[in-house]
Amino acid sequence: MGKQFFSGIVKAIVPIIIGFLLLGCAQRDDKGPKKIAVVISTLNNPWFVVLGESAATRARELGYETTIFDSQNNTAKEAEHFENLIAAGYSAILFNPTDAEGSVSNVNRAKQAGIPTFCMDREVNSLEGPVTQIISDSFSGCVDLGQYFVRQMNKSGKYVELLGLVGDNNTWNRSKGFHSVVDYFPDLKMVAQQSADFDRSKAMEVLESVLQSNPDIDAVFCGNDAMAMGAYQALVSVGKADSVMVFGFDGSQDVMDAIKDKKIMATAMQSPKFMAQTAAELADKYLQGERDMQRKMPIAVEIVTQDNISEFEAYGSEE
Amino acid sequence: MKNSIKKPIKYLLIALLVGVALYNSVYFEPLDERHIAQKKGVFDPDAFAQKFMETKLTGLPAMEAGQFMEALEQDLEQFTAEKGRKMGISNDYYFIVEGNGIVLDIGNENVRIKLEGVADSELLIATDFIFGNAIREGSGMASIGDFQNTMDFNSISVAVNNRVRTDVVPPFLNEVEEGDHVYFKGAVEVNTKHPDLPNLRIIPLILEIE
Repeated sequence: MGKQFFSGIVKAIVPIIIGFLLLGCAQRDDKGPKKIAVVISTLNNPWFVVLGESAATRARELGYETTIFDSQNNTAKEAEHFENLIAAGYSAILFNPTDAEGSVSNVNRAKQAGIPTFCMDREVNSLEGPVTQIISDSFSGCVDLGQYFVRQMNKSGKYVELLGLVGDNNTWNRSKGFHSVVDYFPDLKMVAQQSADFDRSKAMEVLESVLQSNPDIDAVFCGNDAMAMGAYQALVSVGKADSVMVFGFDGSQDVMDAIKDKKIMATAMQSPKFMAQTAAELADKYLQGERDMQRKMPIAVEIVTQDNISEFEAYGSEE
Repeated sequence: MKNSIKKPIKYLLIALLVGVALYNSVYFEPLDERHIAQKKGVFDPDAFAQKFMETKLTGLPAMEAGQFMEALEQDLEQFTAEKGRKMGISNDYYFIVEGNGIVLDIGNENVRIKLEGVADSELLIATDFIFGNAIREGSGMASIGDFQNTMDFNSISVAVNNRVRTDVVPPFLNEVEEGDHVYFKGAVEVNTKHPDLPNLRIIPLILEIE
């Protein structure tokens, strides 16, 4: 009888204890510092490393615990990060999406869970999901870069365009800005346009392949600096580095050095530090109650050439 | 005998069923109608630009060019911050200006004019290299916050610049000569980091030789 009574009590109490334990795990720890997640599309590119670290550093300065998540340019991986950070009770997300369309559902899921998202550098195709989107004005940057390209080419010649990730709006804003200029000059012929996913190694492979069928090109326009460096390596390997002009976009350290050394013609400077810090500061303001924020905040980029490079530092300024 | 009657009925029924299934599986429609249906609900920057050029230009508020130049020379930073439009965080400010001038020089990319009634004040009217966002931002014809996809927003600049290139510049260039008196209304960009006031370029919206 006593044994049965004891067993009954255990059976009744154990589920209650387990329940309390689970509830305790799920509840946010309101006593410690709030947590901000920094979700970055890829940490395989130094530019995005600077973006992620600058966001995390500024958030820490503002009193938050931070964790950086690497999506490895994979929306499935990104979705996994969002599930984990929602369960872990983060207060806000500083987000660099992998895909303008594919990342919308992740932002919406976070919003439903009460976690505000602040996009950095890349946008998602949603006005309702993120609180705000701090993005480079890639289109205008490439309009300026396109005009510089046309003048350097004396309005004629053959060129190759290396595109970034096809699912990213920046890829098309840059390409569209560039073509909104270059396509008005009929003697400028694009002999190939291929994606190299914003990746240095892939850009090298793609350009090596293009050069086999088009050995007489005059220029390569690349949607980011990593691809510009890959393109330059491909040109070095076939002995054409001095005769083919390379143009990038970002303002990363290696391309800024290459412009100084007259290996690369130009890039467009966008500051990951400034974008990241702005995102962290807006997230802090939002968490303190401010709600009056622009849905999209474009940040101007500037053209860096061999003539004006002394005015700039890699990855831009912090102001 | 019974079987031989049933067989044709059976085949007829099968053929009928297959026919009905095929009829409901395949639809034919003219390609033009299909394209129109696909474009419904999709932003059309060309139509947006056309409507702007056809209905908004005359009433578009503009600063008088002489006063604009004087204000820039007096206090560029304050004037641009107070009166200019800009997109996001940038050193580029945009304005719509109008005025009268005398043609000094017809170049490959610009026509240089001297503003009437203002001493030593010159402007360039762009006739080539018509690119960028000066008209869109100067006029405030669209706001980035209203567009889910920034590419649609940027397409407006491409479309409106195309209209200037095809509708505004050619008739002017065909007739203009040095010494002509012209009226202009257009958009201008002023960069506060590297201001180049002697070479400000107007992207023209209206050009009239008087």
